[in-house]
Amino acid sequence: MKDDKSKSELNYKDLTQSDKDLVAKLVKGGFSRREVLKLSMVTGVSLVAAEHLLFNGKAAIAATPKKGGSVRMSSNLHGPDDKLDPATFTSTIDYTRGRATYNSLIQHANDLSPQPELAESFEPNGNATEWTFKIRDGVTFHNGGKLTADDVVYTMKRHQGEDSTSVIKSVLASVKEWKKTGPMEVKAILESPNADLPTLLGLFQTKIVKNGTTGYTQKEDGSLEQNGTGPYIMESFQPGVKSVHTRNENYWREGANLDACEITAITDPVARVNALISGDMDMVTQLEPNSFRQVESAKGVTLLSTPAALQMGICCLKNSEPGSSDDFVKGMQYIQDRKRIVKRILKGKGSLGNDTPISPAHGKDWCSELPQREYDPDKAKFHFKKSGYTEAELFVAPVSGGIEDICLTAQANCAKIGFNLKLKKVPTDGYWGAVWMKEPLNVVTWNMRPTANSQLGIQFGPGAAWNDTFWNNARMGELLAQSLAETDPAKRHAMYCEMQTLVHNGSGMVIPAFSNINDGIADNVMGMPTVPLGQLGACEWPEFIWLA
Amino acid sequence: MMTRMVMQRIGIGFATLIVVSIIVFIATSILPGDVAQIVLGQSATPETLAALRAQLGLDQPGYIRYFSWLGNMMTGDLGISKAGGATISSLIGGRFGNTMMMAGFVALISIPISIALGLWAAMHPGTWLDRLVTFGTLSLISVPEFFIATVAVLILAVELHWLPSTAYMTGEETFFELMKALAMPLITLVIVVSAQMIRMTRAGILNVMSSPYIEMAILKGVPRGRIILRHAFFNAIGPIINVIALNLAYLVSGVVIVETIFAYPGLAKLMIDGVQTRDLPLVQACAMIFCGTYVILILIADVGSILSNPRLRNPK
Repeated sequence: MKDDKSKSELNYKDLTQSDKDLVAKLVKGGFSRREVLKLSMVTGVSLVAAEHLLFNGKAAIAATPKKGGSVRMSSNLHGPDDKLDPATFTSTIDYTRGRATYNSLIQHANDLSPQPELAESFEPNGNATEWTFKIRDGVTFHNGGKLTADDVVYTMKRHQGEDSTSVIKSVLASVKEWKKTGPMEVKAILESPNADLPTLLGLFQTKIVKNGTTGYTQKEDGSLEQNGTGPYIMESFQPGVKSVHTRNENYWREGANLDACEITAITDPVARVNALISGDMDMVTQLEPNSFRQVESAKGVTLLSTPAALQMGICCLKNSEPGSSDDFVKGMQYIQDRKRIVKRILKGKGSLGNDTPISPAHGKDWCSELPQREYDPDKAKFHFKKSGYTEAELFVAPVSGGIEDICLTAQANCAKIGFNLKLKKVPTDGYWGAVWMKEPLNVVTWNMRPTANSQLGIQFGPGAAWNDTFWNNARMGELLAQSLAETDPAKRHAMYCEMQTLVHNGSGMVIPAFSNINDGIADNVMGMPTVPLGQLGACEWPEFIWLA
Repeated sequence: MMTRMVMQRIGIGFATLIVVSIIVFIATSILPGDVAQIVLGQSATPETLAALRAQLGLDQPGYIRYFSWLGNMMTGDLGISKAGGATISSLIGGRFGNTMMMAGFVALISIPISIALGLWAAMHPGTWLDRLVTFGTLSLISVPEFFIATVAVLILAVELHWLPSTAYMTGEETFFELMKALAMPLITLVIVVSAQMIRMTRAGILNVMSSPYIEMAILKGVPRGRIILRHAFFNAIGPIINVIALNLAYLVSGVVIVETIFAYPGLAKLMIDGVQTRDLPLVQACAMIFCGTYVILILIADVGSILSNPRLRNPK
């Protein structure tokens, strides 16, 4: 076998440095068939050997993290409202600082499965109404104290109760009580079964802080009270400017490869890309579609595009006109030129939406059996006509890159069939309080949730706080509760499929496309995770990356 | 006379500050959403909103919040940022220094250049040099600053790699490194403010040049350079000082675009952030600084033009 021979002959370690760089670039960017072909042409090896080389190279690169060096990372937003208290985190820069400074009980793997972090193990009782967490021994806070069950119980209780301003209060509302059952053991007692609880405990806001504190706090003299357990110690914090982090030499596990990192934000998208290309920044988040080509063609940097369920949604409120008409919603759904949106507006870095919030990025819970809704002006015209409306006004704010273009495309396509879709442009600041869930037609985006259940429940659960189309379906409520207790994979999948079908056909939600997560990193940044829940591997990079 | 005018101006300045603070307060209240809604954003629920509002004292009526802010302000207590919880003085402190540093460097570079070029152009009206200066300044006034900034970044940072694309400061750099970090915004701002000052210097002097006493000097045979430097310049200085003052005020308060493009942590961007998060104490503090800067600079300009003009200096 010729190919087998070439496989055994060609190994990553035998390559020249320039070929190694090429392999490294492909490995990090994720590689397509075309890129494998490119490598094969450049190095002159067969296709099979090239493919082998990439996997081989990936393993070689992944296996050898080096210590040392420092990076600068730029997010897209920051300001005087940057936070230190994990329970109040709301932006990528908060999440990133949180990841560098703290640990959660649970950590998400790239495939979203829950992995032990500060919890050494987690076990449900028979019907998933109680979860027991064994707390890891030998973990110390940055200011010296030892982690115990008290810290965990204290932290978790901050998400409960009337005075709680926790961002994830409602997400963890199913937990009735957090109970210390031993010096290093904590029990969560639930109102109703929840097989997904561990996954939720990997959310950005669940970082564990020391008993009695809100995590890091700024002291009178401006220095920081260091109450985290994470891989890096925060040396300085200037909200809206930057923070500086150095390696935690006492970190309880491998990781923390860098000597230091600086976390800042450049709000202007063009300036952010320029800072990456000119080498001022090693990592930047949120590349806009119009800069993809610039980054891809620039030397020394890589565009990281991770498929995710970042929905580009249009909400038609079912409790007011015109969304109360099912035909109007159908018209809005059929007028979306989905393929064109993914190809032209998202420049291919996205996936088709099927008017449900679940995308292939959700893995096995995505209903692939549900037929894809296509662009069909005739059907749209038919439904608009049946609804009796000839015009409507949609409130648009740039809540996600491309949503304005999607609405403009819909407007143009509506005009072709004689429907007058008016767009009212509004700013993003104040949008969530003043427009979203208030104006009859508005746009929305959601961070991807780690489980299909939380994604569906948060947005389509009957009476849920953020049911943003006011679509209340009793069957949906039943399925949401039942699926959490279901352990048989086939039955579970059937339930999720039924839920997606209900949303697809009945709700007021129009989701023509999902955007990928698009970030840029310098070529010498290695070990980048690809958790699809947020920018730069769901901000998990501080734990994993190293510099080649 | 002079003292009375200065005292009067200071009094008016204080009144202006109060009026501005009321307008800012009302304007910020009219904007949709309050700081609690903005902070919690999409993840707000009625319960968390209520809890946060109570924590921040937003459940108090507007006028009480205004007067408690005013009272604290009078005692020098700027308050606490509603959005982030840091003290306003700690938020403003470093950024005020940054803004002043940038404005100072720009002024140091641009004022001598502008006056020199303006004088030069006025000394040789109609020559190709004058035309070049006129053409150059008119073009630069017409080009928006974000365009100048973006082109400068593309050429000097992205293509040539000579200068960093952002004004990123570590806080430990040497003077040379600092200059390198600040080079891009400095270049942009010097271009933007110089153009206007050059035009004004040239126009002011040429205006004086047409007056009868200059004609007398020309007839007496005084050289043109001497006429401009000795006779015309001091009479034209009033409007020039005013333009310089306005440009300096702009450098302190209006450079938000340059701050955004170069990610420079200055005051103007802080105020915009404050408005976006409806962080009233922060917006108010910035507004007071900007308004105060205007009042002081205009006052200095007025005093300057009076001192330079004997007719105003010694009224009959």
